[in-house]
Amino acid sequence: MIAQEQKPMEEILGYLEGKQKVVVMGCGGCATFYHTGDKKAVNEMAEKLEKEGKEVLTKIVMPLGMQACETEKCSIFLQKNRSAVENCDAIMVMSCGDGVQVVTEYTDEEMGIAKEVYPVNDPLGLVGGGPTKFKETCQSCGMCELGKTAGVCPLTSCGKGLMNGPCGGVREGDKCEIDPDKDCAWVKIYKRMEKLGKLDAFEQMNDPHEWSKMKRPRLFELEKPMGMMDMMGAMMNLNTISGYMSMMFAKPPAEEEEAKKE
Amino acid sequence: MTDEVYSDLMREFKEGKYVFTGELEPEKAGNVNEPIEMAKELLGLVVACNVTDNPQSFAYVSSLAASYKIQKETGMECVYQLRCSDRNRMALLSDVLGAGTLGIKNILALAGDHVSLGDTPDAKPVFDLDSTTLIHMIRKMVDEGKDLGGNEIADPPKLHVGGAAAPGAAHLKAEVGKVQRKINAGVEYLQTQVVYYTDVLDKFFNELGETDVPILVGIFPARTFGQADFFDKYVAGVDVPPDYLESMRATKQIKDKEKKKEEVDRVNIEFFTKFLEHLKGTPAAGCHMMAVGYPRIIAPLKKVME
Repeated sequence: MIAQEQKPMEEILGYLEGKQKVVVMGCGGCATFYHTGDKKAVNEMAEKLEKEGKEVLTKIVMPLGMQACETEKCSIFLQKNRSAVENCDAIMVMSCGDGVQVVTEYTDEEMGIAKEVYPVNDPLGLVGGGPTKFKETCQSCGMCELGKTAGVCPLTSCGKGLMNGPCGGVREGDKCEIDPDKDCAWVKIYKRMEKLGKLDAFEQMNDPHEWSKMKRPRLFELEKPMGMMDMMGAMMNLNTISGYMSMMFAKPPAEEEEAKKE
Repeated sequence: MTDEVYSDLMREFKEGKYVFTGELEPEKAGNVNEPIEMAKELLGLVVACNVTDNPQSFAYVSSLAASYKIQKETGMECVYQLRCSDRNRMALLSDVLGAGTLGIKNILALAGDHVSLGDTPDAKPVFDLDSTTLIHMIRKMVDEGKDLGGNEIADPPKLHVGGAAAPGAAHLKAEVGKVQRKINAGVEYLQTQVVYYTDVLDKFFNELGETDVPILVGIFPARTFGQADFFDKYVAGVDVPPDYLESMRATKQIKDKEKKKEEVDRVNIEFFTKFLEHLKGTPAAGCHMMAVGYPRIIAPLKKVME
């Protein structure tokens, strides 16, 4: 998932200086998950913009599973709102940068409508964890090193991205030199290797990372796209259903903490 | 590994001499006049001087340019400090070749502080290589005449590479594991971060065990209370003893400049004499005196080791 947060309102309004008519568009992917592009967020943004005197021509809400970053899905919603898109001064997209760029490219190149498309959110990276606390653990570098580092990515989790650490700046409590709230990834790697009985490997040099695997922009092609039937099949599976049921009845983290105390 | 000796620093290690090195800090200026003056004062007292590379991630005069100029104008042998924070592997390779071309004989390979800690926090941190892979690259260049990709280097540079160790690291075992990695990568000597506590040093040597790689222990006799306080507060892995800090703080009250100097020297000589006496019983091959801008303290401290 791509974590994201909304930009400060001043920055959003800065983009809209001298512009009056806007389209506010959400995203049914990660942005819905992080409350930065779901129906509620779209409505709230539209309200704020109206309060600032802007005219919201339409609000495009994409339901869960309908991501702005997928051209096929995104296009359905843009085509449906073609006249608003044509008449607006700017499209405010409440998604990560991928969504914003798919909207830009599709409206410009496929619909033939060149409009200002502005980001409402700041993307914060690929994160894992949850339900409320997440951390960036992978940067999609194109050459996974986890097999050499006991399952902890030093390129992402070490503040300096060192393939050979720790650096000399480890703080009290095995915290990072740059930010005392973060754990030192290399101490974590050491502890994992210790548990796995492979400390000998800790003393061996890791080669420099092969950044040639990350020539931007990276292009990627699937032989067969995921169709609706594949999606249904993936969802209507017994394990999936039992997984959703467990999540449904799971206590929220705060309640769980309380229950533990009792 | 080659047995060639290219520098006076390495010669002293090989001859088993007790080695003393100093430190010079180029600043944010269009010249290196001050470090040149300091280098002149240190001639004969130390075999070589480290020339810092953007210390604490404050952007200063290029350490390579400063090393060359200091070496050329004073005859002081320089240890060119080289950080991975600000250069990718191509730039590092170019600078190492440049160092060889300019007659630099020693490089201290460092990862470097993160750029966010210095005066240019919006810079993009590089860290394409780390201290270990930089050591590996330099050894490959010098010994095999090849770059990381195996491409031939005509007339390879003739220089030595050292690395750093942090005895006061919060997780000593992980730190020592990394130091071992540097040793495996071919580091030719090690220089420790500043240490004030003898037991911290002893624990480090015990954890590291026997090694043929000579180790210089870093000490920092502070010229002012502010310097000592900075190390205590802001330099990770360095704790300054409260007694020493208090004695240094007391010198702030002395109004007469000369008397103040005398008292600062007295505090340092008293504290470091005990430290250096202890050092005699450790495997240390020498002492790196990180006394930037405080050359007058070197001679009396050196005397302790005679």
